[in-house]
Amino acid sequence: MRGIYTEKMLEKLLFQSLIGLSFSMYLWLLAAGLTLVFGVLGVLNFAHGSLFMLGAYATFTLYGKLGLNFWLSIALSLISVGIIGAILERLFIRRIYDIDLAYQLILTFGFILIFDDLVKMIWGGVAMIPPMPSFFEGNLSVLGRPFPIYNLFIILAGIAVAIILWLILEKTWWGRMIRASASDREMASAIGINIPILFTTVFVFAAMLAALGGALGTPVRVVAPGIGTAMIIQAFVITVIGGLGNLKGAFVGALIVGILTSFGILLFPVFELFIIFVVMAIILMVKPEGLFGK
Amino acid sequence: MAKKITRRKFLKGAVMGGVALGTGLGGYRVTYGQAKKSAGPIKIGGQGAISGAHADYGWQMMAGATLAAEQINLKGGILGRKLEMKFMDEELKPATAVKNARYFVTDWGADFLFGIDSSGSAMAIGPVLPELNRLFFFTHAATHRLTEELVAGKGIKQIFRMVAPVYQDALAAWVFKDNPEIKRWAGINCDYEYGYVAWNLFKENIKKFRPDVEFVAAAWAPFWTMDFSSHISAVMAEKPDAIFSTPWAGEGVMLLRQALMLGVFDKIQAWWQGMGGSVDLLEGISREVAGDKFKGKLWATARYIHNYPSTPDNKAFVEAFRKRWGKFPNYSAEGSYSAIYAIKAGAEKAKSIETAKVGAALEGMELKTPAGPRLIRKEDHQAVYTVPAGRVMMSPDYPLPILGDLKVIPANDYFRNPPFTPVAATK
Repeated sequence: MRGIYTEKMLEKLLFQSLIGLSFSMYLWLLAAGLTLVFGVLGVLNFAHGSLFMLGAYATFTLYGKLGLNFWLSIALSLISVGIIGAILERLFIRRIYDIDLAYQLILTFGFILIFDDLVKMIWGGVAMIPPMPSFFEGNLSVLGRPFPIYNLFIILAGIAVAIILWLILEKTWWGRMIRASASDREMASAIGINIPILFTTVFVFAAMLAALGGALGTPVRVVAPGIGTAMIIQAFVITVIGGLGNLKGAFVGALIVGILTSFGILLFPVFELFIIFVVMAIILMVKPEGLFGK
Repeated sequence: MAKKITRRKFLKGAVMGGVALGTGLGGYRVTYGQAKKSAGPIKIGGQGAISGAHADYGWQMMAGATLAAEQINLKGGILGRKLEMKFMDEELKPATAVKNARYFVTDWGADFLFGIDSSGSAMAIGPVLPELNRLFFFTHAATHRLTEELVAGKGIKQIFRMVAPVYQDALAAWVFKDNPEIKRWAGINCDYEYGYVAWNLFKENIKKFRPDVEFVAAAWAPFWTMDFSSHISAVMAEKPDAIFSTPWAGEGVMLLRQALMLGVFDKIQAWWQGMGGSVDLLEGISREVAGDKFKGKLWATARYIHNYPSTPDNKAFVEAFRKRWGKFPNYSAEGSYSAIYAIKAGAEKAKSIETAKVGAALEGMELKTPAGPRLIRKEDHQAVYTVPAGRVMMSPDYPLPILGDLKVIPANDYFRNPPFTPVAATK
């Protein structure tokens, strides 16, 4: 009797962790850019969630309103948010690299408010949910239960981004430049790396990652002002758990937060929100610099 | 000469402040009194959620109230005075809601207040109303405590609630009591007071009819939940026969669409979406209803639905609303529309717009409203009227889904009655 019970429990947990895994991937896409910008530029960008939101709005408009192809809509959204990222970095973020952290907070927090209001002015405050691309409808049978094809796609997309990021950073010249300037900005500059251009590129790249997270969510989630800020707290928890500025840490952190949240809802529905913060506290007590922090 | 606060000036200010404070409540009455001002428009301040996933609700309140005010103004206003309205965002935050209410009364000069989506905001505003000395017509916030505790219990007579409270969500108990095949219930509910009370009231009531039902799982989703997959899969792991759910507006749409993705409607026999009869939610799932994705298993109610009752009054209201706004009214629109007409009825009966007089005039009054006759119950200032439950389906007469196969249960059967016994407002 007990054997059957535990086997069932194991199946429940496995299925729940798959569901949590797809949630982790949105968090990963958001946390990746956040931690990248912190690691290389040394800026804690609170407005990173706004870029996630802008990605969602752009995709919603192109795909949901104008009826463009889903993939083309995502590509165009990434480009537009990338351009916004470039403007942000060139005109504003650049000016605060060398001053106190408090100014970063004020500036980037200010942008959260500006972007939320801009979105309200352009699209209105009402939440919007575009239709699902038909090729993603339906589900597969996993452990005898229906699992959405879209969630599988999100999991694969998240893993693909992780692999591509790893390849870029570890195997390319550009990746080496990024790592060099992350570890010693002045030295990197001295050996001829153009730091300002590199920083803009990294910021744009991070903005596009956030936009990708937002864009991929549009068919199943909601597009509304504030969706970025609603997730940014979790993204911060992830980067802290994983170690600030560490991409591997952000990936593992996203898995931990996504899957634990999902387990919490199954096992401790009454205080599930609390679990993540307990785990974060324990990790920080044992390793104050985060799992992969230096 | 430089302005400098001298010791003398400081003392003078302090004494004046002390005198002002000493006069206490009397001072407030004079400062914010309505009686002095008998010319000019009657000012009505409204607030609701006008941003975020629930934003359509605030818009609907504004739209319903504006329509009523325009109609009333065309016919000469109330007691010969025109109506003027202003609407603000409560952001679903109690502090913002209280701040707005204070602004409306002390700065803008509102004579009446209405609106509020969040129960938390309503419970925060309630206790401030005696001090502001204005009637507040709540047109959404659903917690039973607003009328049961604050009005019937503490005697805050400035509170009126025009729409059905959380009792309406528990109507599921009456709808499904005669379905013996539905025994295992699971809940996916809002992780705040509304969700707790709806689920507790439902459990309490269905247990009375059906001692054999079991509650096999419960998942809780806070505001800003965008991914309900974990909640859905957690409760589906317990193989329920039916699901009772309360997330509303855009969150309700997401929840239902994510449930479809997870194949829930192949496994269960019924899904109860408490406020699923609201227009924004019906619009959000209309493609799926048209494609019969819910397989006729989706049931809902609301605090008013546009296709009930089939009376000339209701038809005229829906037509006027569509003509004015190009949309169908949801329940916060009808509730706000009726609130403005309640102000008119109360003020005309009292021949005054003074808070105490209008409040007393409204007690026990039966109003003729689009949703049907609404009795303002004397003990708790709750409007009592019947809203049916039904199956979500398409109809050739409407461009969006409606509630069909209506189950009409008289409000007196499922509304709680004074004197009230406590209901747990916890998970």
